[in-house]
Amino acid sequence: MEVFITGMGCVTPIGNNKHENLTSLTESKSGLKKPAIFQSKYASDFIFGEVDMDNTALLSLVDINGLTGLTRTDLLALMAFDEAINDAGLSREEVSSNKTAFISASTVGGMCLTNQLYDDSNLKSNTTEFLESYSGSAHAQQICKKYRIKGLVNVINTACSSSANAIAYGTRLIKAGRATRAVVGGVDSLSKYTVNGFNSLQILSNDKCTPFDENRKGLNLGEAAGYLVLEAANVVAKKNCYAKVAGYGNSNDAFHPSSMSDHAKGITIAINKALEAANISSADIDYINAHGTGTQNNDLIELTGFKTIFETIPPFSSTKSYIGHTLGAAGAVEAIYSVFSLIEGDFYPNLNFNTPIGDLNVLPITEVVHKKNVRYVMSNSYGFSGNCTSLIFEKA
Amino acid sequence: MFIKDILSISPQDTYNNHNYWYNVKTYIGNKLSCIEPSYDGIIKPSQLRRMGKALRMGIGCGLPLLDKHGKVDGIIIGTSEGGLEDCIKFLNQIVDYDEGTLTPTNFMQSTPNALSGHLALITGNTNYNITHVNKGLSFENALIDAQMLLQDGSANVLLVGSVEEISDYNYNIEQSANQYKKVECRSNELIHSNTEGTVCGEGAVMFVLSSQPENGSICIKDVDAITFPEESELLDLCKNMLRRNGIVTNDIDGVIVGLNGDIRTDHWYTNFISSLFSDQTIYTYKNLVGEYPTSASFAVKLAHDILKNNMICPEIIFKNSNRAQKNILIYNHFKGVQHSLILISDINSSNESL
Repeated sequence: MEVFITGMGCVTPIGNNKHENLTSLTESKSGLKKPAIFQSKYASDFIFGEVDMDNTALLSLVDINGLTGLTRTDLLALMAFDEAINDAGLSREEVSSNKTAFISASTVGGMCLTNQLYDDSNLKSNTTEFLESYSGSAHAQQICKKYRIKGLVNVINTACSSSANAIAYGTRLIKAGRATRAVVGGVDSLSKYTVNGFNSLQILSNDKCTPFDENRKGLNLGEAAGYLVLEAANVVAKKNCYAKVAGYGNSNDAFHPSSMSDHAKGITIAINKALEAANISSADIDYINAHGTGTQNNDLIELTGFKTIFETIPPFSSTKSYIGHTLGAAGAVEAIYSVFSLIEGDFYPNLNFNTPIGDLNVLPITEVVHKKNVRYVMSNSYGFSGNCTSLIFEKA
Repeated sequence: MFIKDILSISPQDTYNNHNYWYNVKTYIGNKLSCIEPSYDGIIKPSQLRRMGKALRMGIGCGLPLLDKHGKVDGIIIGTSEGGLEDCIKFLNQIVDYDEGTLTPTNFMQSTPNALSGHLALITGNTNYNITHVNKGLSFENALIDAQMLLQDGSANVLLVGSVEEISDYNYNIEQSANQYKKVECRSNELIHSNTEGTVCGEGAVMFVLSSQPENGSICIKDVDAITFPEESELLDLCKNMLRRNGIVTNDIDGVIVGLNGDIRTDHWYTNFISSLFSDQTIYTYKNLVGEYPTSASFAVKLAHDILKNNMICPEIIFKNSNRAQKNILIYNHFKGVQHSLILISDINSSNESL
């Protein structure tokens, strides 16, 4: 059973909807800057990818329909989810059909409310509004409540590859006949939890991140939500299909909790599995939307993986140079950007790149590359604890 | 899919002990904490000191199974919160030290996928690796994931399991949300306590699941779930599951239900039983291990032990029947929101396939 992408929705530092994101990518417009909304001691030290709306502005755009205890994570998720199902033209009945699955992902969840959580978990507060809001799965339950979702619901946390695995899981549910549709994706918002965590690992950059550059200083944390509607070939009918999910590969690098193995074991296994599932060879890949965080370790090892797999490395770039590393949302948002590349035939340039890494002599694209007849695009996502996932999208 | 092996750490003495039901422990109060093994020879003392409870319990169950059964085709974990104690320790440091310079240990261990990552790292397993975190359906999704991999031939043997720990912090949050009892309760009186709230449990259960039956294998035949259902939708979910497995309600011999002594939500179970399973044996298990989001994994272990080892202790019998036990259905819900059904069969007693 072939699985098609029929709807997409996203809210990111470069746009509050799908269309704005496409425009920013086309114009090479970055959303990385000092944050205006996010509160942290480190807000002025580092560069972030922040969604350009505070919670009041988000609340005015989202029909919350009686939901309570909503966090920023929930609001971003609700916004992108709504855009995706509307984009796919799904009726409310179709969304709540028991054959429609909902597979989400998040690493921060409601922990964006760090101080509130501190008070509640240490019994220093009387409020109860957010007691059910902290989990990584809380946003999914809010969406289930609002849209009366009755199909299978799941949330995945494989750190920074979470929503790439959500896309793969939704695809497999459809292929296995457990669902005919799946809304898949992920969300994360900026939080003191992740800023302090990544800072303790000393991998945050005080400049705009420079993926694949010799002088890269680390990553910029970002926030976003992205959802895609997947539908089985037999229910798509005459709908406009953006792309097919052609392949997916999952591997664990089994090397270190927070860094990748020198030989890029997990990366190469995940890519090879995805190629095998898509039944294509590495030469068929037209473009790679790389993981490309901008850390010393990731970028070097990802390129090592590319050199192992590809005889000629296809054009590649990291769109984290536009929005930062959006963690649990990254796989989904970058999947949407990959689909843009398939539809538009445009590969979006890697911003802020100057110097190739060491003697690898591998360069990302730094100008918009237009190609006719783009057929296959690959998207990579790698997370802490060794989780590596590659996805391949095919022109519908 | 077939259960090849199980190892569990729970508030009962289940670790490497097939006779735990001869001596069911009773707890007083709201916390049922695990009886942990020494981990000697499993986890190095230097590593053990730094490990949070969820991580060490998960490794303590997972690693011996991986050593015993060789390289598995994937490691699939379901956990609602993972190492929550580490997580909130890290959050407390953020607030207490006003975002000072922090060490990454708590941060790294707090990510829910730390367990699946550690198990892969220690055993050098580069195969499929994932962590499902949808609260009360985390373990069910781990099972569904495993079933899809085994059925489509992309795996033959998998490590599938769950872990959850009681931390002071999540206990405080849940207590503030009125999840736990306000009056002291003995665990052997939990099911009939007739008051609001339940008691907090924890545990790790790891399974080696195989696509191939062995002599005496117990089969996990099907898993399904629904969120925020109406009662009729739950009954339909059950009827559909039985139908697609070619059986009717009368083929079910026993039902393990998640009764947890909370009068606000136990009606789901009693209505379910009276609607569909009025003359089956009914079992409970939360009087043994307490309530937690991935407790259904303990129910699967229990079903296995009933079917394979003929384990029947009075503590787990809610309502008896004379029926020989071949097919057991597990019905559990978490807070009346997330509901799941798991169908388990003894393949020696019937002609069953995957």
